[in-house]
Amino acid sequence: MRLRSLICTAALSAMLLPGQGLDMKSLTLFNQPKDLWPTYNGDYSGRRYSALDQISQSTVDLLKIDWMYRITSVGPQRGVGGPTIKSTPLLVNGILYFTIPDHIFAINARTGEHLWQYSFDDKGGHLVGQRGVGMYRDWLYFESPDGWFISLNAKDGKERWRKKIADEKLQYFTTMAPLIVKDHVIIGVGGDAMDVRGYLESRDPETGELQWRWYTTPDKMGDPGSETWPNLDAMHHGGGMTWMPGTYDPDLNLIYWGTGNANPVFAGQSRRGSNLYTASIVALNPDTGKLVWYFQASPHDTHDWDNVETPVLFDAAINGQPRKLLGQGTRAGWFFVLDRTNGKNLVSKPFSGSGNWAKGVDAKGQPIPDPAKEPQPNGSMIDMPAMGATNWPPPSYSPKTELFYLNGTEGYGVAYLYDTSDKPEGYGGGGGGNFDSHSALFAMDIRTGAIRWKHQHGQDGSTGISGGILTTAGNLLFTGDSGQLVAFDPASGKPLWNQRLTQPVSNGPSTWMLDGKQYLIVGAGDTLYGLSLARPSAR
Amino acid sequence: MPRSSFRLVLFLSIAALAFAQEDMPPASGGRGGRGGRGGRGGPAATRDFLGLGAAPDEAAAKKGEPLYQQNCAGCHGANARGAQGPNLVRSALVLHDEKAETIGPVIKSGRPQSGMPAYPNFSADDLYNLAQFLHLQVDLAANRGTYGATYAAVRNQPVGDPKKGEEYFNGTGGCKSCHSISGDLAKIGAKFPQAATMQSRFLWPATPGPAKARITTGGETIAATIRTLNDFDLSFTDATGNYHYARRADVKIEYDDKLAGHRALLPKYSDADMHNLTAYLVTLK
Repeated sequence: MRLRSLICTAALSAMLLPGQGLDMKSLTLFNQPKDLWPTYNGDYSGRRYSALDQISQSTVDLLKIDWMYRITSVGPQRGVGGPTIKSTPLLVNGILYFTIPDHIFAINARTGEHLWQYSFDDKGGHLVGQRGVGMYRDWLYFESPDGWFISLNAKDGKERWRKKIADEKLQYFTTMAPLIVKDHVIIGVGGDAMDVRGYLESRDPETGELQWRWYTTPDKMGDPGSETWPNLDAMHHGGGMTWMPGTYDPDLNLIYWGTGNANPVFAGQSRRGSNLYTASIVALNPDTGKLVWYFQASPHDTHDWDNVETPVLFDAAINGQPRKLLGQGTRAGWFFVLDRTNGKNLVSKPFSGSGNWAKGVDAKGQPIPDPAKEPQPNGSMIDMPAMGATNWPPPSYSPKTELFYLNGTEGYGVAYLYDTSDKPEGYGGGGGGNFDSHSALFAMDIRTGAIRWKHQHGQDGSTGISGGILTTAGNLLFTGDSGQLVAFDPASGKPLWNQRLTQPVSNGPSTWMLDGKQYLIVGAGDTLYGLSLARPSAR
Repeated sequence: MPRSSFRLVLFLSIAALAFAQEDMPPASGGRGGRGGRGGRGGPAATRDFLGLGAAPDEAAAKKGEPLYQQNCAGCHGANARGAQGPNLVRSALVLHDEKAETIGPVIKSGRPQSGMPAYPNFSADDLYNLAQFLHLQVDLAANRGTYGATYAAVRNQPVGDPKKGEEYFNGTGGCKSCHSISGDLAKIGAKFPQAATMQSRFLWPATPGPAKARITTGGETIAATIRTLNDFDLSFTDATGNYHYARRADVKIEYDDKLAGHRALLPKYSDADMHNLTAYLVTLK
């Protein structure tokens, strides 16, 4: 009797309490296990494409809300209002881990049951967003808004150590989801109010000690890239933040990162030159932090066009040859496709407006900024809304359609220069105007950059980007539209299904399968939703 | 979704669809041309969003200014952005200071090794006032919510040629086919005297408020005031104030596109056209 009960207990424990740790071998370029979403983008590629197809064009009508988890423990957050889920939850061993600024939540992925919450008391920084946690074996990694890099036990959310990685008093802030690559936790920083210098760090997953730090601008005059700055002072206050998680190709052993705009933001007169390596895609060796190649998407940026949008990795045949590629749709309004082995350009094409801020592209395929289109005291018109053509919400690439998808905006805006002195600081200007603007879902041909289809949202004047994008082998594309969660046909852009939520979609949707049931997970404001088919067996 | 022949300028439900773009405070529902990333929320709201901490004590900063200009500006520059001495606005020491607790001792003892003299005679009040002057310079750079006031003169001053603007109004721009300077635009320059505001106004003169449209549903056409319109839903009130709902796919929506002329000009303006027209319109007082 006693023995049997012991055996029962043991069996139950095995069933209910599997190891909470992550098998690091499940982090792959393309083929993530179906019962995991182990990193911000699901896999290392950033494609946000799932091979799952239980939820498909033929079953999507049966998709329903299975559970909701509403954040009720956190009130309005400083300067930004109610809690907004921008993170993509990790799914490991049936538990979801997601964040908002200052808070981590662990919930049961099958039911939405609350397991634990970690709360941090910030001393500054921006609460504008939090992209999520990284995971290595039993440990989670989190950035507080004010520059603390924190490791916690995934089992109970207990903190095991914290390291200061950025000084919020200098106006750095920290929001990104750490990316785990082998025995490296790769972390980035944000902040462009005070002309600080961007960097990317690698830290030891066990101790949190610094392994390397790569600055986004060169160290000293004479170094490669320093020729694109007038002097050391401008270079060391030149911006270039790293506020979004990058991607990784294990075969090439390269991490790919987007860097933010140069500083001072709108006033470029004290930093003549192209300002490397701001507003660029960079490829680094994750073991050394050494730059291997770069491609600058917005040289000498003077419009706050952060180039941090996900550098998405995919393989496709070009002229019959299999190629390892990288695609990025940028805030500056251009779509680029590069060879990710060496950064060589295949496609450079505007998707929003005509790219009227550039005079064309150089030999590397990089736009050549037109000095006449820099901000002016009475304004200079750009044929894109003032906030830029897209932003951080995750794009997607589907190998089935070979199309690249992003949420963007179109219209016109004006860039103003306020500080005309030879020593501008901070923003020194501003963008204004969403003239004749609307938001849209774009599908781009990766070989030509042509817009294969575009779904303009049915509200003129809208400039909001309605969350990120997920594509699946079920021939579905999930994203937000009109305040709802919508499934589109990724081949044609036709809306197939829609679900009203309490708030608009605010993160990138994700998907995985547990107990033979495919779930779709989406964050909308303060609520995380789990959806699944009413009858998973219906095929 | 294919856009039908209608164009509708709506301010409805936009807040619900949009969420704040990164690195800016949430918009207060205003749009069009003002502010933008320059800190639409005002100094206090932007400061809160940026996590800049306590606001500088402006009265103290005012007292500190003559002290600064007399003793410090020679090396650190008139606005503390550096000369032969270091930039103090970007100084980590200044940014970590609140009430002269870190700045004060440095001023008092100087930095002999780097050539900075000591100021042992400054009182605690002097040091506090000097520190607040520096914190104000930081605020003026970092807090976008202060830009509106700081740069009002630059933003209000038209740089264009009013004569060419008048020619554009009567000629290439085609403005006079809809507008008259003695009619609808009489005294427009008195209403929008600031160049930036005037410019945004004519580039896209959308005004907030419910849009009027003609809705055709079930063979019937109704004069409607739109409440909600998106890819899926349409709700509106009719002339008698009754509420109606229809699926977006089931109705035809038409309205008069009052902004057609402005829409057509957006891709055509050169920056000079835009500036000249602004310079002309602000003279219509």
